[in-house]
Amino acid sequence: MIILDAIIQGILMGLLFALVALGLTIIFGVMDIVNFAHGEFLMIGMFTAYWTSLLLHVDPLIALPTSAIVGTLLGVASYYWLVKYLLRGPMIAQLFGTFGLMLFLRYLAQFLFGTDYRIVQKGLLVGKSLSLGPFILDWTKLSAAILSLFAFTLVYYLLHRTKLGRALRATALNKEAASYMGIKTDRMNALAWAIGGGTVGIAGGLLVNFWYVYPTVGLLFVMIAFASVALGGFGSIKGAFFAGVIIGMIEMLFPVLGHLIGSDFLGPHFKFTLVYFAYFIIVVLRPQGLFGWKH
Amino acid sequence: METLRDAFDFSDFSKAERIGLGLFTIFLLVFPWLGAGSFVKAVMIQFLLFSLFGMGWNTIGGYGGQVELGKAQYVGIGAYTVALMMVWWKIPFWVSMPVGVLIAIGYSFMIGYPLFRLKGHYFAIATICTSLVLQDIFINWKLVGAAKGIELPIHDHPDFLFMQFKSDVYYFYFIMALFYAGLFYMNWFRKSKLGYQLRMIKEDEDAAESLGIDARWCKIKAYSIASAFVAVGGGFMAVYNLYIDPYSVMDLDLSIKIALMAMLGGAGSMWGPIIGAAFLIPLDRFLGSWLGGQKGLIGVDFMIYAAMIMVVSAYQPRGIWGIIEQFRRKGA
Repeated sequence: MIILDAIIQGILMGLLFALVALGLTIIFGVMDIVNFAHGEFLMIGMFTAYWTSLLLHVDPLIALPTSAIVGTLLGVASYYWLVKYLLRGPMIAQLFGTFGLMLFLRYLAQFLFGTDYRIVQKGLLVGKSLSLGPFILDWTKLSAAILSLFAFTLVYYLLHRTKLGRALRATALNKEAASYMGIKTDRMNALAWAIGGGTVGIAGGLLVNFWYVYPTVGLLFVMIAFASVALGGFGSIKGAFFAGVIIGMIEMLFPVLGHLIGSDFLGPHFKFTLVYFAYFIIVVLRPQGLFGWKH
Repeated sequence: METLRDAFDFSDFSKAERIGLGLFTIFLLVFPWLGAGSFVKAVMIQFLLFSLFGMGWNTIGGYGGQVELGKAQYVGIGAYTVALMMVWWKIPFWVSMPVGVLIAIGYSFMIGYPLFRLKGHYFAIATICTSLVLQDIFINWKLVGAAKGIELPIHDHPDFLFMQFKSDVYYFYFIMALFYAGLFYMNWFRKSKLGYQLRMIKEDEDAAESLGIDARWCKIKAYSIASAFVAVGGGFMAVYNLYIDPYSVMDLDLSIKIALMAMLGGAGSMWGPIIGAAFLIPLDRFLGSWLGGQKGLIGVDFMIYAAMIMVVSAYQPRGIWGIIEQFRRKGA
């Protein structure tokens, strides 16, 4: 029973991880760039929802669109002001460029908001839970999972059923061929950053309901997102979804297993260590991931 | 003999560079007698230490072109070996530091073997992961002090065996000696077979392999050299700071700083890491003490730092040394 509970909790958390990983995998798929600042986008999404709900006295869930808009704008701004120039340089410059962006956003947040841990105190769903038989589900997590599933479907639809999405995928497959077909690849890159920033903004807005927000919160989530993206295959959207859910389950099951076995070394403080370790094992053994099609 | 001659032979550098190096050496030698305050001295020691780290990173990251972001784990291995051997068994620094370096080399081979199956982004993220795993283990490992870290016992009298001195001057000359050992080693390294092989791999890995270079093995060797450099610096950090914890010697920020300095100065050039450290360490320290002291300005120093990183990687990925060379070519 305790294991089943952990699995359900893991799926709920995993759906959110998947949403964080979605933006990362789209940006990677379209332009072969790893966005290190992705976790910081999430952090800014969280802060946006936090301050909107606090200052305007609205529920964090209603503040969600502001997070999405801020995330989208952030993504587009980073593309036009930084990433566009980085593309001319070697890979190492691209890595350090987004790394610089990560540090900049992190310390900007620290400068503006300080290093305090903040959490949303009031909200429609905060602190309430749904009991389904023996299982108790937090409404905040449940709604986050449902909404992230919704956002995921929306992006999937956008990419696979619309002309715009087809153009984006064409750019991902072959940039030169796509530009011969009249696709403005520069705009497609910007679109990838817009979707990436927007989805991670939404994820931040959902996460703030049940997770502390502080300037360095991004690191943990970006590492989880890296692991999810690696497991699912860099650039694969379907992969990001399943990998996110799997990693969510691992993260919840691991402490439970440790508890059942009675081992101290399998304690909850190592659950994220496991995620880092998993990334290492996955990329070494199966670099293309579960659903990978690139590399 | 030839190795030694290569290490001390700087004749293929331009005259300006050689004069610069000579003046710099004289400056370092007389620096403790210039009457600088203890803060400035501490900054100088940090600068030399990070130059050493940067030179190490430069072997794999600069010459080999591999984006390595996990050097902090080797700083940690070096520092923890020295500290633990001193606390547990009272073993002097001069024994424990080489042991630490050997452990770091062994560990780097162990990690490097699977690690160098990866390339590009995958590799970069994997190096971060390995470093974070080791840090997490040390944070939770009670035997080695867990998150509280280790304090080294302070001796009443200055003790050369345990590298405990009353004055910073001795530490300064010691790290300076290490710095020059590193510099001479790098001067040899760039002319060595491995150095040329690495540059070839950086240019075109497939072409290098078709010429019979075992790219993966070369990278592993360079990686372990880099780890050895960094572990020496880690051992120095332990005796200099007299206190270490997983956050100060194994943090991701440290890994990034090491790589950034080399990158900002100019990765893959002899002087790059030194220039990068000479630029960033004083900036870091002075901005930190100047702005950090003022309430409400926490993090501004890092923002300036980060903005510089973004500008350099967008406009001149070859770093400050790249800019200097650009000007020189225009002048000539």
